[in-house]
Amino acid sequence: MNVHFAWILELSVKSAVNNPGIEGPFLRAITVYRVASLAYAAVLLARHGGYAHPVAGWLVIGVMAVWTAAAAFAYPAAGVPRRPLLALDLLVALACLFATPYVEGPGQGGAGGLPVPATWVAGPVLAWAVHGGRRAGAVAAAAVAATDLWLRVRTPGAAVPGNGAVLLFLAGVVVGHVARLAREAEARMQRAVEMEAAQRERERIARDIHDSVLQVLALVQRRGRRLGGEAAELGRLAGEQEAALRELISSRPAPSGAADLRTLLMRYGSELITVSTPATPLVLPARVAEETAAAVGAALDNVRRHCGPGARAWVFAESGDATITVTVRDEGPGIPEGRLERALADGRLGVAQSIRGRVAGLGGAVVITSAPSAGTEVEITVPAPTGGAGGRERS
Amino acid sequence: MAGAGAIRVMVVDDHPMWRDGVARDLTEAGYEVVAAVGEGRAALAAAAAVRPDVVVLDLRLPDLSGAEVAARLGAVEPRPHVLVLSASAEQDDVLDAVKAGASGYLVKSARKEEFLDAVRRTAEGDAVFTPGLAGLVLGEYRRLAAQPAPAEGPRLTERETEVLRLVAKGLSYKQIAARLVLSHRTVQNHVQNTLGKLQLHNRVELVRYAIEQGLDAD
Repeated sequence: MNVHFAWILELSVKSAVNNPGIEGPFLRAITVYRVASLAYAAVLLARHGGYAHPVAGWLVIGVMAVWTAAAAFAYPAAGVPRRPLLALDLLVALACLFATPYVEGPGQGGAGGLPVPATWVAGPVLAWAVHGGRRAGAVAAAAVAATDLWLRVRTPGAAVPGNGAVLLFLAGVVVGHVARLAREAEARMQRAVEMEAAQRERERIARDIHDSVLQVLALVQRRGRRLGGEAAELGRLAGEQEAALRELISSRPAPSGAADLRTLLMRYGSELITVSTPATPLVLPARVAEETAAAVGAALDNVRRHCGPGARAWVFAESGDATITVTVRDEGPGIPEGRLERALADGRLGVAQSIRGRVAGLGGAVVITSAPSAGTEVEITVPAPTGGAGGRERS
Repeated sequence: MAGAGAIRVMVVDDHPMWRDGVARDLTEAGYEVVAAVGEGRAALAAAAAVRPDVVVLDLRLPDLSGAEVAARLGAVEPRPHVLVLSASAEQDDVLDAVKAGASGYLVKSARKEEFLDAVRRTAEGDAVFTPGLAGLVLGEYRRLAAQPAPAEGPRLTERETEVLRLVAKGLSYKQIAARLVLSHRTVQNHVQNTLGKLQLHNRVELVRYAIEQGLDAD
């Protein structure tokens, strides 16, 4: 019995695991198991000449066949209440077991130690395990094994092997466990699918915003500037909102731990500040990217402070060999020679500390080029992980 | 105001308010707006009929991609110059459109004077290189150089790289000419060359791709 039981079980579980989806494949596997077990029980009965009472024996096989067919349809059906069905399933199996002493008669031990339904009684155990998990599987296995053992103990001269009971327990617990794992996997898959749908929806909204709100904001900015006065102020505000909203809808989640420096730099873009970057991502470790962007922000603050609130500035980011360089340029009055050094010596650390300090901490370098009336260029170079220059394909 | 000598401009943008605003600005500045359409196919059909000197092209169109429109406008006779007027966040699209034949790129937030000047320069056949476009083109050359077979791709000369980097940092051609001690025209030629090589490479790639596809189909 043990070998056959294990073989039929393995066949059935394989057919479940190889199928996608969760409940359906398990139910199909149980049906496969029941059909195979039914055939096995019929063969056993025929080989033993129908035991003591052939008519009753074939009647039991008939009941089993009917129930196998009924269960095959009832389990996958949507309208059938599960608990009564599971209870009935177990009762039918137990009833077939109870018929064993009568059918097999006094010579029960001669039939290979198997009851009339043989391995078929494990069907409800598997069904309970699939629906209720490990515990339900164990309970059903206990019911079937206890009935089987009780019948054997009552029958004089019958063998009382424990292997069948152990295998039933194993089947109930293992299948219950696997079914639970599979259900969890399905839930995770479901979440992933939902997240993907949410991402698609986000992209659709981004397109809509682009086609409507952003266009209007850009137009308000454009017309406002031309009308002048208060309208120009409104236009400027609209322009800022346009830039912020555009940034928001175009940002994509970067790979964990890494960031695209372009996204951080684009935030500085405005009517006065032009940001130029490659079309390929400038990938840096997240902390390095944030610190670099902060250093650029400090340089831009400096432009505002020294060249007035209406000063233009240009931010240009490019990738080099294992480095990324960001240049901040203005056309202000420039820094008189030696002033930075004097400031450092005087303990007024302003630019020197906030920019040089940040960048030095990243293993990078800052070069400040300035001449009176020719503006200032702050060139920030930070090391990039190789491949940071990036393939466009990865974006 | 639109006389016989006025520059003929077609505006392609799917947003009617924006389209009208741009058309009004152009008309007021003495340009002749010969068509204003909202779709790529309509633009291609109109271009053959109204023969614009300049097409002001938005990249987000409902039917065709901006790059596709730019490429197919290149086959229209007489060939119009294409100025991309787009949002700052569409960098990949801008690069594709420029490689496909557009000769300039301006962000939609550009000032009106800047825009009108760009249309005039585009009509004259100049490449309108904003700092943003210079950054994209430099990045594209670097990407091509980093590919497995870089020998095949176009390369920038040292001087061209130098000029493009200065454009990306916001210097005007005049400022660049002064800094590098070159003539204004030379700076312009360098810039134009960088774009020309990229567009030529793009066409070669397209032809190669078409041949490969054709051979595979047999």
